[in-house]
Amino acid sequence: MAATTMQRYNNGSVSRSGSSGLAEVLDLILDKGLVIDVFVRVSLVGIELLTIDARIVIASVDTYLRFAEAVNRLDLTEQGGETLPDLMQDMTQGGAKSKTVGVLEGAKEKLFGDDDDDGSSSSSRRSSSRSSGGQSRAKASTRGR
Amino acid sequence: MAHSGTEVSVSEDRNKYIYGVVAAAAAPPSTPGIGGAAVETIVSEGTAAIVSDVPTGELQVGREALMSHAQVLEDALRGGAVLPMRFGVVLPDADSVKQHLLDRHHDALLAQLAELESKVELHLRAVFDEATLMGEVVREYPQIRELRDALRGQDPDATYYERIRLGELVAEAVERKCLAEGNAILLVLEPLALAVQAGTLDNERVALNASFLVEREDMPAFDEAVDKVGRAREGRMRLKYTGPLPAHSFVELSVEE
Repeated sequence: MAATTMQRYNNGSVSRSGSSGLAEVLDLILDKGLVIDVFVRVSLVGIELLTIDARIVIASVDTYLRFAEAVNRLDLTEQGGETLPDLMQDMTQGGAKSKTVGVLEGAKEKLFGDDDDDGSSSSSRRSSSRSSGGQSRAKASTRGR
Repeated sequence: MAHSGTEVSVSEDRNKYIYGVVAAAAAPPSTPGIGGAAVETIVSEGTAAIVSDVPTGELQVGREALMSHAQVLEDALRGGAVLPMRFGVVLPDADSVKQHLLDRHHDALLAQLAELESKVELHLRAVFDEATLMGEVVREYPQIRELRDALRGQDPDATYYERIRLGELVAEAVERKCLAEGNAILLVLEPLALAVQAGTLDNERVALNASFLVEREDMPAFDEAVDKVGRAREGRMRLKYTGPLPAHSFVELSVEE
């Protein structure tokens, strides 16, 4: 039976959800469970991409630049406002999102739909949506590489 | 049954896809299997394999098949203990399912079915909200704050390496915070579980990615504890709580006997 309960994120209370549509469960059935030493293994469309160790990403320059941008952006948001040249630069240069993350995101989305909505994939998604608004974008601090 | 050793010949036009193992007395799940095929059980001396027919040869499967696997198992779990197979295990026919799975591992399967009776797996993933995490990092680490302030207004190309250094410091702080937060959550939940399997933190903002083996009757208490963990971190972290699931993370067969 499909999941009858969905998680509630906003009110801080957590409810349990069943297995349907959840990336967590799919990770479990791909990685955990009984195996026997003789079997014909089915081949998976696109799933090998999921096994890429996303921890690799954390050690990348891309990630460092993204973090640097994130702490910078934070402060600008707190102080409020950007100058007009900043905004224009935002609009023309768009989001400085990581290509690596984008590739992983595409694979996961294809497989899991939108339910895996945490992690680096969503941060790149968010940064690209922000680029049109400009309000909370950082200065051009992490661009140009 | 002319099989010798571990050789399996694929000769029939239908193979058996295996979802998991249940006690022989359990009723087969009514949920349709992969490709909509009917799910049946193959019984041998106290144990039964939950299977359905799939075409022979390399199967190309995607999300739907994965969901079928999960749903058949979820259905089966309502009837009692289930030992889930990892996704993708196929044997040629009913005889080889008996021979290579049920009979060969008979004792281990029975023991684990008994062991896992009335137990379920609950999975919890805790992920930091990005803005909150960055805010805390800046507040808690003066070195990061100072470097960030020093770089403000500088030409980004001229400060490329400084920005990498800043990001590196942030990455380290993030990792420390995730570990600390994950451990704090484990400290609350571990006493309520029979066993814990902490998975990899597959993303930099993930503080916890863990499976808990819990007695069914302890589930309300565990739910409540998770709820408390969530409320204490409201706005800071997002929790994804999933289950009850068959004990994927707590079953095992020795592959060489």
